[in-house]
Amino acid sequence: MAADPTRRVIIAAAAVLPLVAVSGCGGVDVLASPPAPARDVGLLRAAIAAEQLMIMRYAAVLGDVQNPGQGAAGGGTSASLTAALEPLLAEHRAHLAQLRSRLNVPAGSTSPSPSPSRRAGSAPPVPTAPTAAIAFLRAAEQAAATAMLDRMRGAAASLAQLFASISASEATHVPVLDDAVRGIAARAGA
Amino acid sequence: MSKLEEPREASGGHRVSSRAPRAAAPGTIHALQAALAAEHAAVYGYGVVGAYLTGSSRAAATADWVAHQEARDELEAVLRSSGSQPGPAAVAYRLPIPVRTPGEAVSLAVILEDRIATAYLGLVALTTPAVRELGALQVRASALRAAFWRGSTVAFPGLTAAALAIPQRPAPDREASASP
Repeated sequence: MAADPTRRVIIAAAAVLPLVAVSGCGGVDVLASPPAPARDVGLLRAAIAAEQLMIMRYAAVLGDVQNPGQGAAGGGTSASLTAALEPLLAEHRAHLAQLRSRLNVPAGSTSPSPSPSRRAGSAPPVPTAPTAAIAFLRAAEQAAATAMLDRMRGAAASLAQLFASISASEATHVPVLDDAVRGIAARAGA
Repeated sequence: MSKLEEPREASGGHRVSSRAPRAAAPGTIHALQAALAAEHAAVYGYGVVGAYLTGSSRAAATADWVAHQEARDELEAVLRSSGSQPGPAAVAYRLPIPVRTPGEAVSLAVILEDRIATAYLGLVALTTPAVRELGALQVRASALRAAFWRGSTVAFPGLTAAALAIPQRPAPDREASASP
C-alpha cells in the first residue's frame, strides 16, 4: 500500500479543490484553471510546519506563565495572560487541522507531515519574562502572517484563499498581544 | 484609542496598486464587481453603525466608513482600468439585522466585515498577481476591523463553513477497487 505516498498525497490535494470555493463570488469558474498540485503540496507542508512551530511556541510560553520560575508572572498576570493566549493557541490549532485536512494523507498514517520540528517535540526556547515572551510571540505572529502571504502568491486558487485567511487571522493576533502587554504594564503600575 | 489606530496601521494602508490586466477575464470582472458590491453595502451600513454609536466607538465607525469608501474607490479604478463599468451602489440596502441599539450596530459592523472578507477572498482565487494581492490585503484589513468590533479573533476570516468542511474520503470499496 505504501508504494508511492507522494503521488497519493498529490492526487488527494487536487481532488479537494472543488470543495473549497468561497461561496457566491464567482470563484468557482476561476477554479477551472488547472492547479499545480506538486507545488501546492510543498507549500502545504511548509504551512503545516509553520503552524506546528507557532503552537509549540505558544505552549512553551503558556507553560512558563502557568509554572513561573525565575522572574516570571505573578498570580493576576498569570491568569490574564493565560486567558489572552489560549484563544490564539486554539486558532493556530484550527489552522493546523485545516491545513492537514487539505493534505488528506491515507488513513492509518500517523504522521501526515514528516517535519523535523514535529518529530523533535521539544519546546523551542522562549523568553521567560512575561513582557519579553509576549513580544517574542508578537514578532513570531507577524513573521508567520508574512510567510503565509508569500505562500499564497504561489498557490492554486483554493489553497491561496486558505493561506490568505490564515495570514489575516495571524495578523489579528498582533493587537491582542499588544493589549496583553498593556495589561501587564497596567498591573505593574497599579 | 491606540487600539483603534492599530488595525489601520497594520492594514497596510490603501496604497494597493491599481494596476490590473488590460482585458480581464469574465471571472476576474465578476469577482471585482462582487467585492465592489460588498463595499457599496459596507459604506451604507457603516453610516447606520455610526449613527447608533458615541465617543470612541463612533470615531472607530467613522474611520472604518472612510476605509470602505477608499476601498470602493480603488475597486472602481481597477474595474475601469480593466475596461469595465463599475457597478453602482443601490439607493438603499435592507440591513441583515434590525439595528436599534449600539450593541446591534456593533453586530452589524461584524456582519459587514465578514461579508467583505468573503468577497475579497474571491479576488484571492484569481491568478492575476496584483488582483490577488489586493484581495489578500483587504481580507487582512477587514479581519482586523472585524476583530475590533467583535472583541475577539477568528481562525478563518472570510472563509465559509462550507469552504472549511473537511472533505470526505472516498468510500472504502471505491478506494479498494481503484487500488491495484
